[in-house]
Amino acid sequence: MVESLFAQPPVSAAPVRAGDTVLVLAPMGEAVSLGAFAGAGRAALVVRVRETFGVDLPEQPRAVPSADGQVVFVWCGPTQWLALAAGDAVEGGLMARLRAACGDLCALTSQSDSRTTLRLFGPQAREVAGRLVPVDLHDAVFGPGHVALTLAGHIPVILRQVARNPVTYEFLVFRSFAESLFHDLHVAMNGALS
Amino acid sequence: MRLTCPFCGSRGVEEFTYRGDATVRRPAGDAGAAAWVDYVYLRDNPAGPHQELWYHGAGCRSWLVVTRDTRTHLISDVRAARAVAQAEREEGAV
Ligand SMILES: [Zn+2]
Repeated sequence: MVESLFAQPPVSAAPVRAGDTVLVLAPMGEAVSLGAFAGAGRAALVVRVRETFGVDLPEQPRAVPSADGQVVFVWCGPTQWLALAAGDAVEGGLMARLRAACGDLCALTSQSDSRTTLRLFGPQAREVAGRLVPVDLHDAVFGPGHVALTLAGHIPVILRQVARNPVTYEFLVFRSFAESLFHDLHVAMNGALS
Repeated sequence: MRLTCPFCGSRGVEEFTYRGDATVRRPAGDAGAAAWVDYVYLRDNPAGPHQELWYHGAGCRSWLVVTRDTRTHLISDVRAARAVAQAEREEGAV
């Protein structure tokens, strides 16, 4: 686990539950943003990541795991991605590994202390998320691996679906907004079930 | 009103910020005062299709060139500003 600057957890509440649908603060591993340098940087970066991590950086709003499963690359804009350590398991640290692999082709910035992950899962997860997020989350158009950069209520989020059974979403939210988003999702959970 | 971001898909207008006319071009550094006044201050106010800059700030943070009919809000085209600028540069180079 990456060393945190913060002594307090970003969300003070314990996991909440409405029926079988659960909202929980997920452990935040190391997170690093990749911003391709202008010019040939983007194309070279895609090639380099493919060579090193065995995966193509997504060209669309998607999240893809590296071949070894240690890193997930989340699309974050046409020239930007967010790399997430999939556990505590990135050997030598995610930042060090990225810097060695592609530090000359993109701006690498640690986001481990800037973002927090809220995980929402269960039979009503789609209905709950749909109350806050103005994006079509229907199974036919938004499934595991899909990503949306949007607003949850008034809060900017990177939303991604990580599983279909049960439906599981992760909201990557700025740390200082996590408590508010947790509250809003909790309210939505109660509303979605009433 | 909804805009179809070329990267994110169809999104509500609350995710975007309007910047203004996308057709103005910065004059050469040694252009006369009239050209600079025109560039900085003077804008057309067309009734009909208009190219304008929008920023997808709550999404992918891309600048977009949107063609909007100012009479009906009909959006006929949305393109990445980067692609528009690139095409223009290539045209200029030919
Ligand atoms: Zn967008």
